[in-house]
Amino acid sequence: MSENRKQILEMLAAGKVNATEAEDLLAALDSAPAPTVADPATKPKPKYLRVVVDSLDKKHDTPTKVNIRIPMQLLRAGVRLAGLIPAAAHAHLNDAMKERGIPFDVSQIKPENLEEIIEQLNDLTVDVDEKHDNVQVRVFCE
Amino acid sequence: MIPLWATIQIGKFRLWLPLLLIWILLAPIVLLLTPVVAIVLLAVRVNPIKTFGMLYNILRATRGTYIEVAEARETVLIQIH
Repeated sequence: MSENRKQILEMLAAGKVNATEAEDLLAALDSAPAPTVADPATKPKPKYLRVVVDSLDKKHDTPTKVNIRIPMQLLRAGVRLAGLIPAAAHAHLNDAMKERGIPFDVSQIKPENLEEIIEQLNDLTVDVDEKHDNVQVRVFCE
Repeated sequence: MIPLWATIQIGKFRLWLPLLLIWILLAPIVLLLTPVVAIVLLAVRVNPIKTFGMLYNILRATRGTYIEVAEARETVLIQIH
């Protein structure tokens, strides 16, 4: 039983409405369209990854703006290509990345993992607002 | 579809680059290099067909890329259509 229907019956039981009014209310409830719930599956997939940086150059007091739009397809294709890296090269790559402060296992880059990330990116917005340095960074998908 | 043209702007200088012409000019070189690259890929045990397919996908996916760095005096813009 829906919450509204239960409420109407409770009102009838409490004597707040009479039987005719309750019947009218129930009829109105039946004819009302069901509330639509946004289905996450029908949500459009993001097409681009956007990076927008706004900053103020203190030295010259001039604004600098960076606006980057990368197609998601490019990320997908890049990851698929990374999947072709021979297993023998993984260790060298991992070591080189570790040396640069990125502890990352290249063998973990798989297209199926990327799809999962891209799905999650749909709801992602990163806002970095550094008022002291007058820098604003936004990373989002569209 | 592969990108057909690109816009490059440096300051007030704006250039519309017909990439299609570049692809046509590069096609003979690519055709000549393909067997050599394929042999090298086979030597390192990488599937050349898959690799070429993925490289083509990367090229195709660059469509829609937009990079703009704007300062008060200078603007650099790269757009691939």
